[in-house]
Amino acid sequence: MDYIYSVIILIGLFVILASSFNLIIGYGGLISIAHPIFYGLGAYTSALLARDLGLPIPLSILAGVLMATVLSIAMALPALRISGDYLLIASIGFQLGMIELIKNLRFTGGASGVSGIPAFLVPTFGREAYVALVIVAAIGVVLLVRWIAHSDYGRAISAMRDDEQAFAALGRDAKWIKVSLFALGSGIAGFAGALYAHYFRFVTSEQFEILMSATILTMVVVGGLKTPWGPVVGAILLQSLPQAITFLNLPPVILGPLQGLLFTGLVLIFMFLRPGGLVQAGNTWRAHGSGRGGA
Amino acid sequence: MFNMTTVAQILWTSLATSSYYVMFAVAFSLVLKVNGVFNFAQAGLMTIAFYAAHGMVAGLGAGGAVAFVVALGATMGSAWVLERFGFAALRRNNASPMFVFIFTIVASEFIAYLAMLLFGTWPKTVFPQLFWPVTIVGDIAISAWDLPAIATTSCLLLSLWAFLRFTKWGQFMVAVSDNASLAELYGINRRSVYMLTMLIAAMFITTGMFLYGTRAQVQPLTSLELMLFAALATILGGIGRIGGAALAAVLLGIVQNSSILVIPSEWQGFLLYVFLFVTIIFFPQGIRLPPRIRTFAR
Repeated sequence: MDYIYSVIILIGLFVILASSFNLIIGYGGLISIAHPIFYGLGAYTSALLARDLGLPIPLSILAGVLMATVLSIAMALPALRISGDYLLIASIGFQLGMIELIKNLRFTGGASGVSGIPAFLVPTFGREAYVALVIVAAIGVVLLVRWIAHSDYGRAISAMRDDEQAFAALGRDAKWIKVSLFALGSGIAGFAGALYAHYFRFVTSEQFEILMSATILTMVVVGGLKTPWGPVVGAILLQSLPQAITFLNLPPVILGPLQGLLFTGLVLIFMFLRPGGLVQAGNTWRAHGSGRGGA
Repeated sequence: MFNMTTVAQILWTSLATSSYYVMFAVAFSLVLKVNGVFNFAQAGLMTIAFYAAHGMVAGLGAGGAVAFVVALGATMGSAWVLERFGFAALRRNNASPMFVFIFTIVASEFIAYLAMLLFGTWPKTVFPQLFWPVTIVGDIAISAWDLPAIATTSCLLLSLWAFLRFTKWGQFMVAVSDNASLAELYGINRRSVYMLTMLIAAMFITTGMFLYGTRAQVQPLTSLELMLFAALATILGGIGRIGGAALAAVLLGIVQNSSILVIPSEWQGFLLYVFLFVTIIFFPQGIRLPPRIRTFAR
């Protein structure tokens, strides 16, 4: 049963991650793939504050969210000078640089990661309570994204994404919209990271590498960009399908690569058979004005 | 600890090891210049090149030359498939940069997982041993690997330059990179040019990976890291300038190796990525010399 709970929690966390990433990349059209590092920052901050300084876990989780938000603003302010492929590569540089930093600092546990993270809810109320917490959090984030997309702020985001020059000509501040979107999406990712840390109780920098970026990005695109439900479908499908072969009792050296092959193979098939995503919001193959940007 | 011999040794080692970095940077830069694609699937092609060579030597007991030829065939074949069924379809559908990125990175991941399944995750090399005889020349250690590597790289670079400068198909590649639609009006088949570019890049990738695998250990995910280095050199050298990318790869190799004198080796990765972040934000078109200095440079 513990395995089933773990899978449900992972699916819930990926729903949160994919939905918050959809805000940045889908609604905002900002091609940054550094999302996992904010997930990691939330996890590390909350884990270290709770374990080493004895901070109450809810406050540690809040600190994790704040850390992810602040550092995302620090990245966004200079990085948003550029766009398109350039922003994508800059975000890779930021993500991998932060991972190297975490690997080399002593208080983050270096390459060995952080273990012995205090558990939240489980010792008192059982694993079911944590499953419920994650499910409620996932539903809350999806509804928040849906509400944002339909709000005045969401309309401003769409306008900025579709034609930034026209948006600026109307006297609106595109930079503020971009930075706030980054901060919001990354803060939510930090929240997911903190939830991860206090259930699985072990984090290592390798979990937040570029392959994780590809995984979340894939969930959003296969599910459907610019729709609140697309990332939910993508996260559930791509997280649960590779788990199906777990029951074949294969040795880990075969199971891991096979799951990876299944995941990437599914993505390649979906990309060509259903390029608009499983939940379609329009022709997402086409670029939306985010050309190769110079300074 | 700082003396001329140490500095000269670091410079020589940097120059020799930058040979494969140059190959990867030129392949990445060439595809970006002509095909207009940030080809992150290059990591997948690098994985195929290495494991084909390793499989031939370790599995079938083949010699180095046979292993290289088979690796070349496998990599060029994979590049053909990638262009024919991947990039061509994405181009037809006017795919966004994000879609192209996902396709290239997922294709690389797919190949990495396949390599894990077939060869495991333990580090491998092309030949059973990595040690090369060393000759001391004026206090500098020169291994038997160094000179052939530098000579091979120089020959390939010269050949590429001559191909682009003096052959019909080379001129077609330059024309397509300048303006693909206009080139097509003049009767150049741009799809053939895109395919040719991928095949030439595959040659550089195979040679670079063969050199790398005879000097260092490779795991299925090693190629992703090497490819990021190539992307950084391409951006630093200036997009569209293949020579600039090659020069940037050499300079980055020197900076990375020399940094051991100043900072601990474990911080080299951090330094590289900070460099990548800062370069692309502040020099997205590469570092260019001021016009007056460029005139002198000519």
